[in-house]
Amino acid sequence: MTTAAEPEGRVDRWSERYGPELQRHVTAMLENAEEARDIVQDLWVTALRVRPEEGEVVNIRAWLYRVATRRALDRITMRRRRSELVAIHSDELEPGDPVAADAAFDRLSEAAAARVRKSVAALPPAQRNAVWLRWIEELDYATIARRLGSTPEAVRANVYQGMKKLRRDLVSVWREERPT
Amino acid sequence: MTQDCTTYRQDDLLAWILGDSNAGASEALAEHIAVCRPCRRRAAEYRLLDRCAERLRNDPVIRWRSFDSPFGPMRVAASEAGLVALSWQDETDEVFVGGLERRYRSTPVVCDTHELDPAEAQLTEYFDRRRPRFNLSVDLSALGEFQRAVLDAASALDFGETVTYTEIARRIGRPRAARAAGGALGRNPVPIVVPCHRVVRTDRTLGGYTGGLRYKRALLDIEGRADLLPSDASRVEISLR
Repeated sequence: MTTAAEPEGRVDRWSERYGPELQRHVTAMLENAEEARDIVQDLWVTALRVRPEEGEVVNIRAWLYRVATRRALDRITMRRRRSELVAIHSDELEPGDPVAADAAFDRLSEAAAARVRKSVAALPPAQRNAVWLRWIEELDYATIARRLGSTPEAVRANVYQGMKKLRRDLVSVWREERPT
Repeated sequence: MTQDCTTYRQDDLLAWILGDSNAGASEALAEHIAVCRPCRRRAAEYRLLDRCAERLRNDPVIRWRSFDSPFGPMRVAASEAGLVALSWQDETDEVFVGGLERRYRSTPVVCDTHELDPAEAQLTEYFDRRRPRFNLSVDLSALGEFQRAVLDAASALDFGETVTYTEIARRIGRPRAARAAGGALGRNPVPIVVPCHRVVRTDRTLGGYTGGLRYKRALLDIEGRADLLPSDASRVEISLR
């Protein structure tokens, strides 16, 4: 017997309560209802596995939105790669095979990470320090400021400037890699 | 946040990615990117960037910090494996960090004042004559085989023990390479902790020391080797309390 207290019951309840709006949200993001259904379905599987505790550590609606939005963004990235620079792994990027798509995304993020690593190393020291401690080590601004002998405001400004530069570098590589 | 969106700036997307924005702002942003194509594209780029964090977290990084010492501002750096640099010769942090960046291309060099606490503590104790032996790992993997062998041989020397350049060459099985061994010690990236100052000349004069012999004298004085110092005590120019 499954009660509401058990994971399956909880996830069923979330699916009933939030499923329709999440479906609308992801459909709007992807402009495609079918792909959105895949993502939302997958969301319940993830919820069963991860078991976020409702009301304790997370607001469950926010959690579901965050996960669904990130997945949809990943899907957008893969589309973009497909349209802009596939070439090499095009065979793995055919729609309808989520396992291959995951593997291809893995490869894409590995290539991205290699590029980002170089970009981080090349950031001006103040930005590099701030980006590393905030983004990679996930320390709060007050702690980072104390460590670096700076102020939280200055650290934050350095993090944001650095992250913008990293994004620009990452995107510029995409353009360079476009098959000719 | 782009020329096409007047509602959100790039900073808002970044705050969302970095977890700087509160739950309400996060939900509002998620709803916005569902309907704003430029923001969506930009958000996807930041999301891909953010997915790199996990890989970078497991990647090598060089950490460094500076602290005061009797020799002046001292700067130390370490990889995950151990100390890779120690210097009091660089004029500024920028010079020291620049040297590390050239040595470790594409490895981020990050200022961090915590990981290197033990290095500062132990070096301070050493200068206070309270620490005869360092308990710090050293990472010499970036060096050539010969220099590593020479520095390993120097590392085996105890507090206050000295040997000659010739003896070091003999110990690494290259008895005729005393001069080359001297050169390798002179380029020791982690002086003091790798005690190249404990290697002297056969005639009991001190030989050389990067940055000046006065440092070598001061270190040998800490280690109770006044017998190796010039009889005129004022030659130990660096006062160590």
